[in-house]
Amino acid sequence: MLTFLRRRALTSLLPLLAVVLGVFVLARLTGNPAALYLPENATAEAREQFSAANGFDKPIWAQLIDYFAGVARLDFGTSLRTGEDAATMALRAFPATLQLAVVTMVLAIAVAIVVGCWAALRPNGLADRVSGMLSMTAASVPDFWLAILGIWVFAIILGVLPTSGVDAGGASWVLPIAVLMVRPAGVLTQVVRGAMISALGSPYVKVARAKGASEGRVVARHALKNAAPPALTVAGDLAVGLINGAVVVESIFGWPGIGKLMIDAILQRDFAVLQAAVALTAISIFVLNIAIDIGYALLDARVRNKAGAAA
Amino acid sequence: MNKTRTTALIAASAALSVIASGCSVANSGGNGSGAASGTLRIVLPQEPPTLEPCEASLTATGVVTRSNITEPLLERNPTSGALEPKLATEWTQTEPTLWTFKLRPGVKFSDGSEFTSEDAVKAIDRTANNTTLACNVQGYVFGQTGPLTLAAPDATTVTIKTQEADPLLPLRVSFIEMTKRDISTTEKVREPIGTGPFKIASWTAGQKLTLSSWDGYWGAKPAYTTAEYQWREEGTVRAAMVVNGEADVATNLGADDGAGDTAVQYPNNETTALRFTNDQAPLNDIRVRQAIDMLIDRDGIITSLFGGLGKPASQLIGPGVIGYNEAMTPTKYDPAAAKALVDAAKADGVPVGTQFRIIGRTSQFPKIAESIELMQSAFAQAGLNAKIEMMDTSAQLKYQLRPFVPDAGPIALMVMHGNQAGDAAFTVGQYFATDGAQSTGGTPDLDAKIKAAAPLTDAARQAAYADVFKTQTDAVRGFAFLANMEAVLARAKTVDYTPDAATGDEMRLADFKPKA
Repeated sequence: MLTFLRRRALTSLLPLLAVVLGVFVLARLTGNPAALYLPENATAEAREQFSAANGFDKPIWAQLIDYFAGVARLDFGTSLRTGEDAATMALRAFPATLQLAVVTMVLAIAVAIVVGCWAALRPNGLADRVSGMLSMTAASVPDFWLAILGIWVFAIILGVLPTSGVDAGGASWVLPIAVLMVRPAGVLTQVVRGAMISALGSPYVKVARAKGASEGRVVARHALKNAAPPALTVAGDLAVGLINGAVVVESIFGWPGIGKLMIDAILQRDFAVLQAAVALTAISIFVLNIAIDIGYALLDARVRNKAGAAA
Repeated sequence: MNKTRTTALIAASAALSVIASGCSVANSGGNGSGAASGTLRIVLPQEPPTLEPCEASLTATGVVTRSNITEPLLERNPTSGALEPKLATEWTQTEPTLWTFKLRPGVKFSDGSEFTSEDAVKAIDRTANNTTLACNVQGYVFGQTGPLTLAAPDATTVTIKTQEADPLLPLRVSFIEMTKRDISTTEKVREPIGTGPFKIASWTAGQKLTLSSWDGYWGAKPAYTTAEYQWREEGTVRAAMVVNGEADVATNLGADDGAGDTAVQYPNNETTALRFTNDQAPLNDIRVRQAIDMLIDRDGIITSLFGGLGKPASQLIGPGVIGYNEAMTPTKYDPAAAKALVDAAKADGVPVGTQFRIIGRTSQFPKIAESIELMQSAFAQAGLNAKIEMMDTSAQLKYQLRPFVPDAGPIALMVMHGNQAGDAAFTVGQYFATDGAQSTGGTPDLDAKIKAAAPLTDAARQAAYADVFKTQTDAVRGFAFLANMEAVLARAKTVDYTPDAATGDEMRLADFKPKA
């Protein structure tokens, strides 16, 4: 198992490095941000001073060496926009996104399991058709539209929830999570349904039924466990999207997370903040992928055995 | 493994973790508590990147900092345009190149230290002369003045010597916020100490900024003792916060953001226009530029897209700014005449079918993309070939500011210019002079007129700049003006405040009062 994990960790490190490098290079290809930070009629000399002070006058490979030298000292640079330490800004924003992502995914998975299993019990029955239509709709609705609609209905018309912000305790969580979980819940419901239909038709389920197991036990104990791996894979992908920052939801609801921070950093060409935020989320996704692999191995004996054999 | 049990366990843990943290969000500074009595809640479109006073000409910074945390020596009345005393009680031009300012006695910074002429000299030097800091105010206001020579003959007197006679110096000084003598001259300061009626109480980055009034302020105590700023990018959300009672004031709204009966309309000093590259076909022919000007349906755009917010523009400044030419009128929408001009240019060998780009900045003003699409459609019907490119701010600035992108081809660039100073000098030098930071055209005659207008005062100044605007339109036609823009502010019924032309750039908290 340890060898399996080590191998997965090493193969996951490559994409992590590629992401950090890609963002570094692509950000700089957009040009020198002097125009954004200097007065409108700054002289050529002032622009050169700005570039030299921030290292933008060096070749890109030299900037990259400086960057990695800084990272080795845990120095991710300083924000051009706010003058704050870039890593501090990213670390401050990340937990808010993580909170949102964890609660959203847990609820989305719970909904998907209940609705997906229910639909799979009678394929093409009424429950399946209704849940299919709703989950397809949920998977397709744009976040932006849903968020504005949610504010209009629940904050303006009904007056039962705040429009946005994080000051209203538990009520602050309701709309952002509701909006954010709609799509993952819709997608996961489809996946769970498909996997459950396949699992419920398997010989081992027939054997369990023949032995007199209750329907609940058949679903929860026998079928769901075997239907879980594909759902876990899709849930992992969806969680990666949320950890990357639920940009639209964070922007609309004023959620102080890392998605909004990254978008602001891109628009303001605040390279240090962008790189710190990307590095942090890339590391988190790296950890998440390892966790998904462990989960996959625990759920699927074939993966576990293969890992054991490799060791 | 019992999957159901595991799932239930995970769900319970997540729910418990939220409950255990009191449902508080990380990076939120803990749970807030609604509006306390005496608190004014304002929602802005974006968080101030910094409260550095020398960056106060940046809207996102100035709207919080100016006249709230820090104050200038004098300030411009946004309605009358007159300069009024603030931390200076009088100012005189003692010599053609020398101005003397007498400071208000008894003024203190919010940390309790005295405000003296030494502080004023350091603040002006830091803002206007310091090239290391490269403050935004420096470029916008002092770009063409050269270094100032400053002195503090006594504790309440400041003298400023200019390179050349500068009648606008007091106006320029009104853009400088006063800071303490020991403020850094090598780094910008995110949270300054000033003499204003408010000081920074707390700033939870990304979430909320709170200012509180302090005892010892030299002027009248503000009606609200605390101001809470939040920021939401979406205008509809900002408006909804006021409608829903979660905020008292929301700024920078569009006509269709849903502010309802909380909406208050006001002019925001901004003018929108297309700026042409005059040296490349087909835009190098003045008939083509005139045709484009005639093809802009200003009334239609303002009515159908801006929701009636704005007025058709005839020049790059709005009424009320010194130099505004009352005799000029917006170009009439006349597709037939425009087509005739294009045809005439074509007959003379101008390649009118050559594609040019209309470049716009995403979200620069409400409905910018739709406005440009409407223009492109009209241009096509007259036989012109325009392609739309929308860019973010950083990319668009490469086309707006010198040095321009080389070999960029013919461009009609959508610009939005705000003249907060109230004097045409802050517009024409940048946009019309041949070497202006945002100019793509110009003629020796126009340059001479701009230079000649600079030292004039009163009626002569007004007439000279009015002539500059007319000459630019008649002889150069480097722009097709769209609208003098207006904005909407949402104001709760419990708040008494009248927005003015400066509101978008400088929202003075002391002007807000609870409604009786």
